[in-house]
Amino acid sequence: MGNDALHDLARQLRSRRIDRRQFMQGAAALGVSATAISSALRAHPARAQNAKEVTFWTTHTEPDLSALQMIVDTFNKENTDVQAKLVQVVGDETDTTKLMTAVRGGTGPDVYMLDRFIVAQRAAEGVLQELTNFAGGEDLSEVYVPFAWAEANFQGKPYALPFDTDARALFYNKGMLQEAGVDPAELDPTKPITFDRFTEIATQINQIDQDGNFSRMGFAGYTHQAWHYTYGFAFGGKFFDEASCQVTPDDPGIVAGHQWLYDYTKSLNPQKVNAFAGPYAATETVPEEQDPFITKRLAMAITGDWMLNTLAKFAPDIDYGVTLIPVGKAGDQSATWAGGWSMVMPQGAKNPEGAWKFMQYIAGEQGQRTYVTETKHLPTTNSLLQDASLFEDEHHRFFAEQLLPTAKNRPPLPVGAKYWDELTTAWQKIYLNQEEPAVALKTAKDRVQGDLEAFCPIETS
Amino acid sequence: MSVATPRTQKGVLSRVRLTRKERRNLGVGLLFVSPWIVGFLAFLVYPIYYTLRISFTKYSGFGEPAWIGLDNYRALLSDDLFWTSLYNTLYYTALAVPLGAVVAMGLALAMNQPVPEVPIYRAILYLPAILPLFALSFIFLILMDPTKGIFNQILIHLGLPNVNWFGNPKWSKLALVFLAQFGAGQVALIFLAGLKGIPVTLYEAAMLDGAGAWNRFRNITIPMMTPVILYDLILGLSLGLQVFTQAYVITQGGPADSTRFYVMYLYDNAFRYGKMGYASALAWVLFVITFVLAMLIFRWSQRWVHYETT
Repeated sequence: MGNDALHDLARQLRSRRIDRRQFMQGAAALGVSATAISSALRAHPARAQNAKEVTFWTTHTEPDLSALQMIVDTFNKENTDVQAKLVQVVGDETDTTKLMTAVRGGTGPDVYMLDRFIVAQRAAEGVLQELTNFAGGEDLSEVYVPFAWAEANFQGKPYALPFDTDARALFYNKGMLQEAGVDPAELDPTKPITFDRFTEIATQINQIDQDGNFSRMGFAGYTHQAWHYTYGFAFGGKFFDEASCQVTPDDPGIVAGHQWLYDYTKSLNPQKVNAFAGPYAATETVPEEQDPFITKRLAMAITGDWMLNTLAKFAPDIDYGVTLIPVGKAGDQSATWAGGWSMVMPQGAKNPEGAWKFMQYIAGEQGQRTYVTETKHLPTTNSLLQDASLFEDEHHRFFAEQLLPTAKNRPPLPVGAKYWDELTTAWQKIYLNQEEPAVALKTAKDRVQGDLEAFCPIETS
Repeated sequence: MSVATPRTQKGVLSRVRLTRKERRNLGVGLLFVSPWIVGFLAFLVYPIYYTLRISFTKYSGFGEPAWIGLDNYRALLSDDLFWTSLYNTLYYTALAVPLGAVVAMGLALAMNQPVPEVPIYRAILYLPAILPLFALSFIFLILMDPTKGIFNQILIHLGLPNVNWFGNPKWSKLALVFLAQFGAGQVALIFLAGLKGIPVTLYEAAMLDGAGAWNRFRNITIPMMTPVILYDLILGLSLGLQVFTQAYVITQGGPADSTRFYVMYLYDNAFRYGKMGYASALAWVLFVITFVLAMLIFRWSQRWVHYETT
């Protein structure tokens, strides 16, 4: 009898109907022992009330964060048994320190939003739960576009559900081109120009102030998304050879792409280009008010679909076009690459069933539809990519229909983070003209290959 | 020699023979400091032991560590990034620490001027040191920005070339050394306390003998301050070798590896590359390097540190 009454008290305490003092008074009145109290409290842990809660961590910032919140809110309205809670944490694409330490400490989230190209690495390290059993035999490879699904797998097993994707293209400011006497029609989105012609156009736009510094540039070489992967793919490079299990940053195509970058900054003086590009070179974290494309100091930039959203918000007056990334020689196929994020369930998730339900929702049609509409990123489900109503904006449609189907992707390797870092170092040495492309890229290979070998053979497709 | 040991033990034992009251006091005392003792054991001693153990393993931080003996230490020697990051770190420390001592000494002397408004000057000079390094780093990103930073605008007006300080490998380490000087206020306070401890009589005697300001500084202030300077060098060495925050916030190790400092590389291995065992080996090697350098400074200090014997 007393036991039932005590359990009832414990329930009332947990549901905040009574406070701790009232609970103790009630328990004392029942004349129960301290052991009985503690066991009653254990039977009704504070989490019991939150058993349906799913914690969802993201490192995203605005404007994407609001879109994620919107998805979470809708999910919570539609479900009563599971409630998701969005938490913004520190970190970036490859820096998942917060996740790793929290999972180790037993305080990790139920769902984490992880850059897809790093899934293989975190899976290899044992941070992520394998999802085969949750999927219960359902073949998810039919749901998602092949490259995104490949990135979500490691050694043939799924560890993530693909979320959004993106693609890179050449954005150009029509007004600035015209001012420099270039006909914007030349950058026709059906036919790519060559990098040689691109150099001519860019150079024509450059302006130098009285101190000899660039006040305006046609193209800054390495801002926005003009990354190593961009140049490598643009010149037909391949970053990984599955047969020999080797990273191949010294592939002739990749070297050729970086040779163009090397020659381009060399012709303009690398230090002056560097002073123009600023310390924020090639990161998307630069505040919009300082973005040289938005402030009309830069006429052309290779960047991603999310720029459509940024331009609409921060520079609605800019008349811009979006076109194919230039090609090595006339007649070549223009190449771009796609990235994007995914939903993973870390080890130690407290509510795995709820987590799986939420992951399916956010990475499924409903979640992705909201995200694509709000952020102008691209979806990874086959069905949404077929849905023309999502891409009413002409530029957005260009990304979804022209670029994504042939987009390349970074090889999903268990050394993805280090490979990225070493490519970045090589690319910096190249744009600063510190080292010849072949030399710098060979160093990148030497530094990464040793780490990769422990995982060979690797299946990436 | 064999008899020496028991005798010492006996001596020690006789010294620790306590009365009941003393024993009780000791118990109570230990109880009072127990939170610290537990914290010290759990959060310092155990992690130190743990890193030593996993430095002999291949371990991502998850799953089971696999024992690989000295492989991590052997791999270090042939890892060019280990040498690059070590070079960058020593370069930074060799510049930032001595320069820091000079700047701090200058600040301390300014804070020690016998003028009525000196408290205000002290506050002003100390202010930058209050800022967390993280915030200071962001401020410098803006101040030294090549396109709109005030620092570069001044240089351009003086007809000097526009430099991307943090984005140019030739300047990036020097820019971080420069930034570090804004934390000199901390050390300046310690120097100030040292200056206050110098007996005025020494200066008075020197003045009677006709010594000028420079001679008094050179022959009284500096020698009397050498113990404090030694303290600063050892502390600065340890902190300098662990330089991380500025590079993490501003340059992320770039450009072209120029600010890839030792602890940054360690952090990357531990948390981004999933090589916790290797990172632990890096940490132990850094400890040994710091220890050896500190010992060298101590030995060298016997030639220039002046301890008052009275």
